[in-house]
Amino acid sequence: MTEIIVVTSGKGGVGKTTTSASIASGLARRGKKVAVIDFDIGLRNLDLIMGCERRVVYDFVNVIQNESTLKQALIKDKRIETLYVLAASQTRDKDALTVEGVRRVLDELIAEGFDYILCDSPAGIEKGAHLAMYYADRAIVVVNPEVSSVRDSDRILGLLASKTQRAEKDETKVKEHLLLTRYSPKRVAAGEMMSVDDVKEILGIEVIGVIPESPDVLAASNAGTPVIMNADSDVARAYEDAVSRLMGDAMPLRFLEEPKKGFFSRLFGG
Amino acid sequence: MTKAASIARDPPFVIRFGPVGLAQMRVTTLDAAAIHAEVLSRIASAPQLFERTAVCLDLGELEQVPVARDIRLVLDAVKRAGMLPVALARGNEIVDALARELDLPVVAQVRAVSKQSAEMQPKAEPAAPAKPSATMDLDSQGALAQLHHQPVRSGQRVYARNRDLVVTAAVGAGAEVMADGCVHVYGSLRGRALAGARGEITARVFCHEFNAELVSIAGVFRVFETIPKELAGKPVQAWLSGDDLHFARFGSP
Repeated sequence: MTEIIVVTSGKGGVGKTTTSASIASGLARRGKKVAVIDFDIGLRNLDLIMGCERRVVYDFVNVIQNESTLKQALIKDKRIETLYVLAASQTRDKDALTVEGVRRVLDELIAEGFDYILCDSPAGIEKGAHLAMYYADRAIVVVNPEVSSVRDSDRILGLLASKTQRAEKDETKVKEHLLLTRYSPKRVAAGEMMSVDDVKEILGIEVIGVIPESPDVLAASNAGTPVIMNADSDVARAYEDAVSRLMGDAMPLRFLEEPKKGFFSRLFGG
Repeated sequence: MTKAASIARDPPFVIRFGPVGLAQMRVTTLDAAAIHAEVLSRIASAPQLFERTAVCLDLGELEQVPVARDIRLVLDAVKRAGMLPVALARGNEIVDALARELDLPVVAQVRAVSKQSAEMQPKAEPAAPAKPSATMDLDSQGALAQLHHQPVRSGQRVYARNRDLVVTAAVGAGAEVMADGCVHVYGSLRGRALAGARGEITARVFCHEFNAELVSIAGVFRVFETIPKELAGKPVQAWLSGDDLHFARFGSP
């Protein structure tokens, strides 16, 4: 049984691609066969975050327009055996995507026996974002703890409830999960940032993870390694927790408090 | 059978007077093509609100004095586009004369209807086309409120036609809940609430947690740049008294 998961947010720059790369890697490391698709046609980024930008020959649009086979376009990850990337086209625009074309690619992936298909949505609510969510079984809504991101996510949740195939066919609704990124407990404590509870109350859906603000994310992007692969990082631990919850494990949220300073840093006032 | 006896047994109709929801269309031109296009686009943007809606044509904004032939073209354009013109809005003697010529009733403006005596009502009733008057009847016989159990998200609109709207979840910032009757929100109201969307001045807005951006009753609205402290997050109702919106907490303090 293949599950199609869209990673979406409405607002740009909140961490959709970082999240898609890390969640896909996390699932694949647990032995699942995972494909992650970049729906941001014209602004392709996922390949950079995954570190496979130099291996892109054919892309999602080529497959949709029958210019290549899916097999030719799927890029096999070098680190994890069961992880594949389908890059976006950098030279086309979003009109190159069609409902039927996307369906056909998803069906081929399902036939190939993938366990999870992650759809990395572009920002906004236009065609690319619509098609990324259209066939989803589940949605990870990425939100930063600030008002504009929360409002955009509310809008996206409205679209998930009305503009997806599940909504149109009156099937069970898309399962929604909230993922908070760039969370800074210190700033929450200072009253400068919305807390997990504030965001949860406004959006009214279950929280699947809270990812702390950290320089590790930028470092990982620059290195082309999904941040979940950095074993020393709290960000990686937080993403691992989110993957566990996604697979059905209940576990308490971590990294909601400011980390305690160690003995030495207290001694030297660091 | 005497005439009196037959009436006592089985009256062929019942007349009821009551406020009738009627959209007013204030035309600024007699260009039928332009009006046709505009009505089409309005219906496309909010079909629930405009499709097959009974409208009364207000000629008060026109610069030249219209003749019956012009008005016929306009009425026809409106009808072809999908709204149902049923009357002319009360104006001067010219409008009265036109109405007689077009065989249409003249009705007072929607908001003025309830303020004035019911003398205008009998004229409006017989001309109302079958469909809208049927739904109005349904309403006067006590149609159930429209229930909505999902959160109303930013950018979504929910409209309850000819009835109350009851939302049992939150209404997000940037969302819009509208009803021709009252609006009840048993959750946090952070978006806009519009009661009496077609002019019912006795409609009210009730909410469990007041954080609204805008509240409107029968077209009288107020925006909340800052929520008054005593109302923020509290159960609140809003009603119209004269031309003013009033807000108050209800329940135990």
